[in-house]
Amino acid sequence: MTQSDHAYDVPADAPVFECDYCGRPFARERWLALHHGLDHPNELDDDEVTAFRKAHEDEEDSLGAFRLQALGALVAIYFVLLMIYALV
Amino acid sequence: MAVGSLCWLLAVGTASAHGGSLAAGGRESLTIPTWLFLSTGGAAVGASFLLASFVTDRSFVERVHAWGTPLVDGEARIPRVLGRAIGVAGLAAVVVVGFFGPTTPRTNLAILLVWVGWWAGLAMTTYLVGNSWRVLNPLSTIALALPSLDRTYPDRLGAWPSVVGLLALVWLEVVSPLADDARLLATAVVGYSVLTLAGSVVFGRETWFSEADPVDRVFRYYGRVAPVSRAEDGSLRLRLPGMTLSTPRLVDGADEVAFVVALLWVTTYDGLVTTPAWRALTTPLVSAGLPPHLLYPFALLAGFGLFLGVYRLAVRVSTRTAETYLAPDELAERFAPPLLAIAAGYHFAHYLGYFLFLAPALGTATLAPFADPAAVPVYQLPDWFGGVALAAVILGHLVAIWVAHAAAFDLFPSRLQAIRSQYPFVAVMVFYTMTSLWVVSRPEVPLPHL
Repeated sequence: MTQSDHAYDVPADAPVFECDYCGRPFARERWLALHHGLDHPNELDDDEVTAFRKAHEDEEDSLGAFRLQALGALVAIYFVLLMIYALV
Repeated sequence: MAVGSLCWLLAVGTASAHGGSLAAGGRESLTIPTWLFLSTGGAAVGASFLLASFVTDRSFVERVHAWGTPLVDGEARIPRVLGRAIGVAGLAAVVVVGFFGPTTPRTNLAILLVWVGWWAGLAMTTYLVGNSWRVLNPLSTIALALPSLDRTYPDRLGAWPSVVGLLALVWLEVVSPLADDARLLATAVVGYSVLTLAGSVVFGRETWFSEADPVDRVFRYYGRVAPVSRAEDGSLRLRLPGMTLSTPRLVDGADEVAFVVALLWVTTYDGLVTTPAWRALTTPLVSAGLPPHLLYPFALLAGFGLFLGVYRLAVRVSTRTAETYLAPDELAERFAPPLLAIAAGYHFAHYLGYFLFLAPALGTATLAPFADPAAVPVYQLPDWFGGVALAAVILGHLVAIWVAHAAAFDLFPSRLQAIRSQYPFVAVMVFYTMTSLWVVSRPEVPLPHL
């Protein structure tokens, strides 16, 4: 997917990490690394490939933490409804 | 509401307990308090967002959305000619029977064909199967034979005429007795046809139907929910239902976003004005001197403004929760198509019972358009039928959540960022599900103050 046809709205004093290949700005360096790997896989140098792998691993870790929270929320919804149905 | 009043009339005429209204069926089956029923629906939508967020394998999401099988070539000549002939015959039938047919609404083919066959039945096939209106549209066929002045269509108008047109058509449908008076309906159809043909003569047929005509746009947008869609080269392709909605640039520009929101709002408005709560809310206003004829268009516009405002607000919040530098307009365009699945689900909930109830009457009238039988056959819906309506509302939301999830994955490099971008939309959706379920579960009352 080409990103070049997007419109951007970058706040004046915000940190910006801009993609060298398509110019898309990101708020975090890690997102830029992920973007490199996902949208420009054939154009990267070795450093960028390493950065992508690292960012991808970090992302897996934080997704794991998110999944636990989501599971907790699901269980909470289930039991709250179960209780209410038992009482009503 | 015109359709509702026809339904109500028939329900009364056959002394049926649950009539054609989904609402009555839904309410009968309710044994739990309304607040609990609504919260359960809301929780189901919230929980399915959490479930969707467990699917974080990009290649899996892409595979699901890219899956498809080519069907026949869409430009095949014989089905197209046949479809066009059926469309034109339908329009002719509506006009002729409308002016010269029986005056009883439930035996008049024009009324049954427009409301039951077209607005309920054909619209349902549009999102369940595919958009056949592209071929059936009789005005588009007639416009083929007309000359064109080929004036340049002003770019800045975009889809706005169709937004205004959609709101105007729904306003007309709600306030005027278009489902009771066949002569009036035929006049309205002729008026709309003249306007549309004039537009296509001035700006060219393709431009008019793709930009300004509200009806064509409604069917085209509903058709995007359908499993059968057209590929770039015109051939037909079978995909999983709703998966086309994650395609980038499906909705382009603030005008098209407004149309999607308008479509969602009018389906809600249609049901809302026949609830007892609407009657209770507006009675003091009308007795305080507000003219009812101003009340309805005002409520229509105010509700549209509210829906658009809430959507734009959700988009703003989304740029913040996702910490993205993409322009808000970009997100608004990308996350608008999933709303079409919700609109389709709500349309299905609202019209399936109505369609099945009156389909035998439509069949009878088609076979003998000028007969005026005293008894009209109808299909009595089983008691569990209300559940189908509720399931349709929920299912529409589930498809929307999944599609938005896929669109967010496509848009953002970080998957956690993609999930976070959906928080405000899910919050709005939970609230909207509860509103829709509430409207669908209310008994239908005749339109007050008109």
